[in-house]
Amino acid sequence: MKNQVKIIVVSLFILLGAALLSYGALFHSAGISAKQKDENIILQKSEPALIKLASIGGIKRDESGKINQTFAVGEKPPATCAT
Amino acid sequence: MWIQTAFLIVWLDPLGLRMHSMCSPVFHCYACPLSTFACPIGVIAQFGALHIFPFVAVGFLITIGVLFGTLICGWVCPFGFLQDLAGKIPTPKFDLPKFTGYFRYVILIITVLAVPYFFGEEHPLFVCRICPAGAIESAVPAMVGQAIAGEKILWPNAIKLIVLVLFLIAVFFIKRPWCRILCPLGAIFSLFNRVSVFFLKFNPEKCTDCKRCHKLCEYGIQPEKSPNDLRCIRCLECTNCGPKALKLETIFSRSKQPTNK
Repeated sequence: MKNQVKIIVVSLFILLGAALLSYGALFHSAGISAKQKDENIILQKSEPALIKLASIGGIKRDESGKINQTFAVGEKPPATCAT
Repeated sequence: MWIQTAFLIVWLDPLGLRMHSMCSPVFHCYACPLSTFACPIGVIAQFGALHIFPFVAVGFLITIGVLFGTLICGWVCPFGFLQDLAGKIPTPKFDLPKFTGYFRYVILIITVLAVPYFFGEEHPLFVCRICPAGAIESAVPAMVGQAIAGEKILWPNAIKLIVLVLFLIAVFFIKRPWCRILCPLGAIFSLFNRVSVFFLKFNPEKCTDCKRCHKLCEYGIQPEKSPNDLRCIRCLECTNCGPKALKLETIFSRSKQPTNK
């Protein structure tokens, strides 16, 4: 592969990576269902917050496709990932 | 080795920052009490189970992969460093057939992408449930902690224990067994080896065909034939050959074209 072509390919990949990273970090979010005083509420969480929750096993997808928080609002989250 | 040791300070969270909303580019379990960042493979698998596209993890891995390729494996990854240390114990070392290097892609596709998406995180083949890094860095310390505290010990599943035992045996007899046969993160980075900013350049004019690079490479690669091989972890040992026919360069270096066979 010629160096100029390589530089173009690398630049395109860096642009793609940076675009995905920025979109995920700044704009992407998902609604998760959480319990609060015996009723379910929907919390909109950004992707970095979802990463943090996923890392401690704090969110799970049920059979209907809904994403649920595994602990109630105000409760202490799990200490570590369930796996 | 000093570079790998220095990077441990970044990954082992000495300041207790627990920045788990961000991914690191290395294989280090986020359930480990000493981890600064989230494991990108764990994040991709967990998001797969949630049916959410992991923009941050994928974007980060593309960016790091295209910049450094598998230089990350050879110089930065703490799990690779752990295997390097174990490899220093003078035991007979066995080489692996070439095809085993492709098994990493099978692991990536099955345990990181397919199983989490189709069966969720409770499936025994979900990557975190079989990962030896998670077992060593998280499950074992957690079990020790539970035993000391007199609590009920939560054992990992049988597959994880088997993988852990096999890994602990293999690490003394095969150079970097996890990286060479199973690592899904290395599989991703290796895909960028031929287009990354840093690459290994072979200069045929300097090569004396002494085959010293074959002996220096502990991964069974013939660096002069395939300097940016998918199986290469860029330890750069081959660049220590006498005639200096192999060299780490960047795509911005003002020299002749790289030889990418």
